Amino acid sequence: MAVEVSRRRFLQGSVAMTVLGGMSMAPSNLFSNEKEKGELSITTKTGTGKAVLVPTLCEMCVNKCAAIARVEDGVVTKLNPNPMFPKSRNMLCPRGNAGIQALYDPDRLKYPMIRIGEKGEGKFKRVTWDEAYDAIWNGTDKFKGMKQILEEEKDNRSTFVFCAGEGMAEHTFKNFYTGFGSSNWLNHASLCLRTVVSGYGVTLGTYPQADLENAEYIIMAGANRAEAIVTPDTMDFFKRTKGRGAKLICIDPRFTNTAAKADKWLPIKPGTDLAFVLALTYVVLNEELYDKAYVEKYFKSFDVYKNHIYAEGYTPEWAEKITGIAAKDIYEIARDFMAYAPKAVYYPGRRSTFAKNDFQLRRAMAIFQALGGGIDTKGGLIFGKKLPLKGHETVAPMYAQAEGVDVDRTKGKPGYADCAIVSGGGGWVPFRNRVLEGRSLYPVRGLFVYKHNPMMNMPNTAKTAKFLKGLDLIVTIDTMPSDTVMYADVVLPECTYLERTDPVKTFGGAEPAIAVRNKVIDPMFETKPVIEILRGLTEKISKPLFEITKKYDEDVQDEIADRGEEDVYKEYDLTIPFKQSQEELNEHAVSGYPGAYEALKEHGVFYPKIEEYFKQVSVNEHVYYPEEKKAYSVQGGAPKTPSGKVECNLRSIAKKGVDPMPTWRKEYEYTVPEGKFRMLTGRHAQFTQSGTANNAMLHDLIHENYIWINKRVAKKMGIRFGDLIEVSSRAGKTRIKAYPTEKIAPDQVFFIHGFGEESEALTWAYRSGGNDNAVIEDAVEPVYGGAAMHETNVEIRKV
Amino acid sequence: MARYGMALDYKNCINCKACEVACKEENGVLLGADKHRIWVGVKEIEGEFPLLSIASNTFMPSQCQHCDNAPCEEVCPTHATYYDENGVVRVDSDKCILCSYCMNACPYDARYVDDRTVTVDKCNFCSDTRLARGEVTTACQATCPTKVRIFGDLDDPNSEISQVLREREHFTLKTHLGTKPKLFYLI
Repeated sequence: MAVEVSRRRFLQGSVAMTVLGGMSMAPSNLFSNEKEKGELSITTKTGTGKAVLVPTLCEMCVNKCAAIARVEDGVVTKLNPNPMFPKSRNMLCPRGNAGIQALYDPDRLKYPMIRIGEKGEGKFKRVTWDEAYDAIWNGTDKFKGMKQILEEEKDNRSTFVFCAGEGMAEHTFKNFYTGFGSSNWLNHASLCLRTVVSGYGVTLGTYPQADLENAEYIIMAGANRAEAIVTPDTMDFFKRTKGRGAKLICIDPRFTNTAAKADKWLPIKPGTDLAFVLALTYVVLNEELYDKAYVEKYFKSFDVYKNHIYAEGYTPEWAEKITGIAAKDIYEIARDFMAYAPKAVYYPGRRSTFAKNDFQLRRAMAIFQALGGGIDTKGGLIFGKKLPLKGHETVAPMYAQAEGVDVDRTKGKPGYADCAIVSGGGGWVPFRNRVLEGRSLYPVRGLFVYKHNPMMNMPNTAKTAKFLKGLDLIVTIDTMPSDTVMYADVVLPECTYLERTDPVKTFGGAEPAIAVRNKVIDPMFETKPVIEILRGLTEKISKPLFEITKKYDEDVQDEIADRGEEDVYKEYDLTIPFKQSQEELNEHAVSGYPGAYEALKEHGVFYPKIEEYFKQVSVNEHVYYPEEKKAYSVQGGAPKTPSGKVECNLRSIAKKGVDPMPTWRKEYEYTVPEGKFRMLTGRHAQFTQSGTANNAMLHDLIHENYIWINKRVAKKMGIRFGDLIEVSSRAGKTRIKAYPTEKIAPDQVFFIHGFGEESEALTWAYRSGGNDNAVIEDAVEPVYGGAAMHETNVEIRKV
Repeated sequence: MARYGMALDYKNCINCKACEVACKEENGVLLGADKHRIWVGVKEIEGEFPLLSIASNTFMPSQCQHCDNAPCEEVCPTHATYYDENGVVRVDSDKCILCSYCMNACPYDARYVDDRTVTVDKCNFCSDTRLARGEVTTACQATCPTKVRIFGDLDDPNSEISQVLREREHFTLKTHLGTKPKLFYLI
């Protein structure tokens, strides 16, 4: 505590407290800041005295841009962009700049805690790390521990579920899951980019990058790069729009900041992009505009696909009725695209699943892109190069009693028809619903959560609350007292990204590089990096876990009889992946590159010949690789599929009831009943989902989210700017203020995701704006079990 | 000794507000809706859905224009607003009495009240932070994702800003008022 107060005092010395709005009283003084309240400061002017500069990587979103932290007197006063990283190109976005507020957020989780109130009530008591670990293993009078649960389930490891958000240490946490031996791993993928990654994966063999630095014609559909910033795409691209070398066609139901930069904006009916792409394909095939040499060499089942497009009659005239985009525009775009090809990009996009046909849409997009030959080539979609890193030791034992993955299609076993293909990240929504509806093959009783906020991050919040309430043991590792943390039994506080060194990471692309997040300052309060948290936890539970396994696992009993216990335990020793420090692991990972480890410490970035290649050419421009050294083309254009060809007709998935070729079905059509609105959700540049919801600086930019309602409709309904609106659906309700605008169609509404948290421990985020997931219904995309987020119709009324 | 100015390739701007946050963190600017040294101007779109005017939705980054002929400096009764040796328009908070003449005189709405010092504050090109440390960029320029800004010495014919202003068409805001702004918008 002494240390922490003096840090605060430093802050206080420069700036007095400037918090606007009321401070909500937290249910427990663990979250409150009475001590600091009077001395809380938000921004600090940088000084002109001594400072230490530490290169790090940002974690305010998933991009991992390179930053240099300025530390004065032990306090981080500024984050500046690190010009040496080719991915982030010398920039930090508003969130990256506001990372300081994540570090000095007064509401941060500071100490390990265990639940003393009812589940979901948010009443905790502060404990030591040892007591917290003990509570996880032995439970308390309020909740059961791992030991009891596993005894009752006879060592069925799958009764524990592990979920994690995206982050540089996600892999560290996953090592724990792998060693523990559960078959239930859920990450953000099914709530995010699962369908796009897989759609491109099965069609082209990988999810490619778009070379927006050199593309001359870009169709951006449902991707909002001006607001959902992706590096380097955003920076490369918007310097060239508006008649400066890159023609942009923006396809989006609403008028976004990307549309504001477009040459043409075409509002499409939500969920009908597939019809649009199929019609583009029709034009290209019918007028023979495609790259014949490329198709000849690298297409599989081209004729089958061509006949399919003709037979189904996917003409622009047909698509016009479905999409609302004029046939003449479709003709024009198809012709223009192929005229610019291969330097034309149908931008793959990266965000959540929109609609139930999302997987087929991504396949159709990939095939259309390939028709122009813009694959693995400058100005098209590129595979790029990756600098390999060395792996590390893990444990991955097999437990005889662990039930298999929850979708079991082996003969004679009960299976689920949640989705056709179960991917590594699982399907969050179907999994949750199955447990709730009692369709799970075995009890699901425990949940480990790392950097993940299920209460906010998936459709139908009410169901998630019910799901969490039904679990015996929830352990959360997080930095903030989020809505999910309120449901935890044991809370383990992780330090923020500026207080830890994370696993070194390699970034592939045309200009590959390795970058590392270096620890900027020591962890504050009693927080720890996840690797140390897991080191402490596994030291406590690894051996006792093995004792339970010995009791129930006949295979293990036989092995022990054969080889002796000590030898067998080596394979089950959960402490192994966490034994070494992160620095040691990183040093080993980059040991194949002489001088890399030192360079990463000093500059945060490394790639071979960086000293020779990296140059600043003007105040705003840097060169990372000479033009001829950039990996635009690594395969001579060949797709990375096993066949080495573009897969038009996937017979293997037809067996699972999935269309082998992108096919439009009647039920995909867009309809909204009279008096209702289609609910759209999306992103902007100032927040990252719910993860940054309590950031004081970002909150200052955008206090709350507003619901977009068409101006004329709002007028008819008597709704003015700022009026409180209740949005409701079959899933639930939320309240939010109105923003009447012409940027949205009369039968649609939109608001940004990540607001409206209910955790009272969050000073700024508590009940600020509306929570989209409270009203989005849990429609499931049938191929991968992704959450289809644009399938909900809502009602709105003025409160 | 220099004459600092800034060229803005405003068509690059995506209204992400990185500049605003960087400025606040660098210079210890207050939080609050009207407390900012720099901002991005944007108008509500013209037209009716789906026939919207893309052109009406331009983003205009703005801040103190550091006029060579600054009305704020002219009206200040206590000489709190002054030109420093680099031609940057500055406010000396020790002299400011918050009479708010300058706020009324400024045609660019660049000034606001800092509630801590109860004086007027505005952009000063990071003069007392970055430039004082010998750095050569402002916080907003350094952080900008799409590299809207070029900061530099207008008196140096070889500086990047001088070169870009020779080569590219540009305009200043409210030129007709004769304030001679040193922020140049590139076309």
